[in-house]
Amino acid sequence: MSMSRSKRDRSIPRRPLLWLAAALLFTLPPMFRSLAIWVPCLFLLALAMKFWMEPRGYRLRFAIFKLMLAAVAVLIIFASYNSLKGIEPAVSLLVVLISLKVLEAHTAREFQVMVLMGWVICLCGFFLSQDFAAALCLLSAFALLLVALIQFHRAASPGALWPPLRTACKLLAQAAPLIVLLFVLFPRIGTGFRFEFRDLRAAGTGFSDRLSPGSIASLANSSDIAFRAEFPGSNTRPIGPMYWRGAVMWHCDGMEWRVPYAPASISRAPNQSPSGITIRQRITLAPHGARWMFALDRPFETPRGAMLVRGDYIRSVQPIRKTRRYEVVSSPEVTRNDLTPYERKEALELPASISPAVRELAQSWVAQNSNSRAIINSALQFFRTQGFRYSLSPGEYKKDDLEQFLFHRRVGFCEHYAASFGTLMRLAGIPARVVVGYLGGEYNDLGDFFLVRQADTHAWCEVWLPESGWTRVDPTNIVAPGRASLDLNSFLEGRIASGQMEPRRSAFLARLARSAIFTNIRLAWETLNYQWDTRLLGFDADVQDVFLSSIGIANHGPYFLIVEVLAIAVVMLVIYFGWMQLRTRSRVNPVKVLYERFCRKIACLGAQRHPWEGPSDFSMRAAQLLPHESERIRQISNTYISLRYAPEPDAIMLDTFAKEVSAFGR
Amino acid sequence: MKAKRLPLVYPTASFAGLLFVLGTMWYAASSQNSPAVYLLLFALTAVFLVSIPHTLINLAGVRVALESAQPAFAGQEVSLPVEISNSSRATRHGIELALSGSNRDRERIDYIPADKAARMTLRFPARRRGEHEIGALRLTSVYPLGFIRVSKKFASAQTYIVYPKPEGDLQLPSNGTSIPRNSLQAEIGEGDDFAGVRAYVSGESQRHIDWKAVARGQPLMTKQFAAEREGFVHLDFSALRFANVEERLSQLALWVIEAERARRPYGLRLPGTEIRPAVGQVHFHQCLRALSLFQVGTPGSA
Repeated sequence: MSMSRSKRDRSIPRRPLLWLAAALLFTLPPMFRSLAIWVPCLFLLALAMKFWMEPRGYRLRFAIFKLMLAAVAVLIIFASYNSLKGIEPAVSLLVVLISLKVLEAHTAREFQVMVLMGWVICLCGFFLSQDFAAALCLLSAFALLLVALIQFHRAASPGALWPPLRTACKLLAQAAPLIVLLFVLFPRIGTGFRFEFRDLRAAGTGFSDRLSPGSIASLANSSDIAFRAEFPGSNTRPIGPMYWRGAVMWHCDGMEWRVPYAPASISRAPNQSPSGITIRQRITLAPHGARWMFALDRPFETPRGAMLVRGDYIRSVQPIRKTRRYEVVSSPEVTRNDLTPYERKEALELPASISPAVRELAQSWVAQNSNSRAIINSALQFFRTQGFRYSLSPGEYKKDDLEQFLFHRRVGFCEHYAASFGTLMRLAGIPARVVVGYLGGEYNDLGDFFLVRQADTHAWCEVWLPESGWTRVDPTNIVAPGRASLDLNSFLEGRIASGQMEPRRSAFLARLARSAIFTNIRLAWETLNYQWDTRLLGFDADVQDVFLSSIGIANHGPYFLIVEVLAIAVVMLVIYFGWMQLRTRSRVNPVKVLYERFCRKIACLGAQRHPWEGPSDFSMRAAQLLPHESERIRQISNTYISLRYAPEPDAIMLDTFAKEVSAFGR
Repeated sequence: MKAKRLPLVYPTASFAGLLFVLGTMWYAASSQNSPAVYLLLFALTAVFLVSIPHTLINLAGVRVALESAQPAFAGQEVSLPVEISNSSRATRHGIELALSGSNRDRERIDYIPADKAARMTLRFPARRRGEHEIGALRLTSVYPLGFIRVSKKFASAQTYIVYPKPEGDLQLPSNGTSIPRNSLQAEIGEGDDFAGVRAYVSGESQRHIDWKAVARGQPLMTKQFAAEREGFVHLDFSALRFANVEERLSQLALWVIEAERARRPYGLRLPGTEIRPAVGQVHFHQCLRALSLFQVGTPGSA
């Protein structure tokens, strides 16, 4: 039982400092992902320095020195971001200042402040990244900071590892129902003032309004998630390949296609709703900073905040900067049966320069066939028979390299086939357009959802046939049969396994990636990610409103809810207190209880025991005061002393003692 | 001792910091409508709330038992030995004890295991002579998170004695009846010749402590030197001509210490009290106690 004076406050104790360092290490991964590299490095260095300085009593001492360091930090931050506005410079500044504070802190009292700053760093981490991996790191950091604080207050109590961890776990376990309660019910009152973050990273995703050769092939190795889709309702899963429609490109430039600059919105009349099967999808779209939204081919009901655009695809009204969840209904049978003269003109527009050989090829098909379907088949036949190859690295093409592609190199990825096919169709007088979006998706049976990655980006064609309207034709399917029913990674793995392609990774890694355990772990991890994104990140103020009205307590107003939540919290705390009181309350010692009863009895006879009097002294005094009871007093006292101070009280002796005490005084 | 009333719960200084952090999180969460930040905010809030019953329970079953304080001279420190016992079935952590009313001098015990007790010494300055009540003690704890302090008050009727501060410029008087100079025993006093050691008397000069013996782990001893033996002395309050009663008492206290050190029998005469000449620890403390408890306005005082 070590004793320490509270005045002894010259250094930060080592054990809580270790826990603090462990906690702060967990806040680093989100920083490394999005801050200038030197910021987390500096933070790490400051932590390491602290452990070197603390036992030696070194610290940052002079105020002028600290101020100078802070000023230098501000300058370097300005130099690395070219600005002090925005979330990254702000977080960097905070991290640097906290690093300085870590170097400067030297009294135990400042430890509490350091832990509070750690929690602020967790908050900053959530500004940098909110995905599941980052959240896991930051919440671990949060919990470890709790352990550090508990260890600090335990001071020299035995046990530096498990006991503080156990106390922290107990606190967290008891807090868990309260966290859920607060999260679900506590009103999310807006402050009315929003600050927008300039998001530097959102522009990095691959989807763009321009389809140029190589633009999709470059995404083939990206494992970034584009979106995840669920099919609520059991029987509505699509039967055929899943073409996720993203944008329709009308403007043709040979090998390069482009979306119109201002896509016109269209409205679908209610009577145009399809008669056949409809598929409802719930899509969780990763933020990408643009307005693309995706739905199965073809959407006919638009979600809130989105519009249906000419070309039958949906587009968000606002740029998507946060994870967005929406429901959309599609039907494979939605078609427009009319093609306005303007659209026909637009869908037949050709690039300024087309090489004669290409023009000749298209003309030859027209000469051979009379109807459009036959022309299309001739074109597909051309791709099938002329030795075209499907490759992730087809080499470089420029936008007027159509001839190169069709007659010489004949190697391409989906965008090459879609673009060239579309151009050929237009040359042959068939209205055509290129659609970009995603194809396939990996089914996760743990979470019952499809995961669509950036690698699954795809481009295909649509041609206008008078009898069936806009009809999908996917030339890639001719060159790479089977791609349409799989996601790209599974398709490539299959091809590598059958020897049609050279492996992308070392054989060992490929085997590991295909192994059942690894696949299951990956699926479980993705499910967790999905649950985090949808259940937790999806539960914002609007969803909370919907939820509250669904359980019927929305119309009570926020203050009622606050009072309600606080009342439940107080009841819970009282229950915790009562429970702990019950568990730790002092054991009743039967020997002591009996002896106290004896003392009460003998006090009635006139011998009051003084608080400081030991049992043997008291028995001697009592025996003198009550001579006729002296024998029994002595007997009881002796039994008491031997019972009380025996290592293991004897049950028979205890029984005798109980009888003696109850018989006393009668 | 049992606690007087229900424990008091109040925020510590670092609670302000916590409030600031929670406010920042709340602002960030609500302005961004960010569920992840809300989660962090609610986690911290909930953990803080749950820590309150933990702090409260940390003092349950913890009792304080005071032992008697050693008398101290005014201007020195009173040491009050205290036993803190934990009768609960859980280890209690970070128990702090302070005199009620003084927040600075908090003594801390890191932990007390279940059904065990710990001893500590509460130190506080002895300001004025006389008999003082200890009053109330505050047992406090901030464990586990340090944002909330729980405080239990224990009242005590126990008293401690503060002797007058020994000071003054006058020489020990040599009045009184001389003892015939026929004694063969060694005369002990402020002489030059070393004549052995005896137990250190609290309050006397540290100049003659046998530090070498202390270094060997022996108790404090005072080296004694032989000197010419004088007769016993009457230390008389009314013989002192200072106007200030406290000055007189201080002078008397100094003389008592000097006479005791010199092993010279001394008697004390206070208005209304007379202690016959003697030497020894019991006599020494009896005299100092009389000086300590002396009330102005006792008949006969100047």
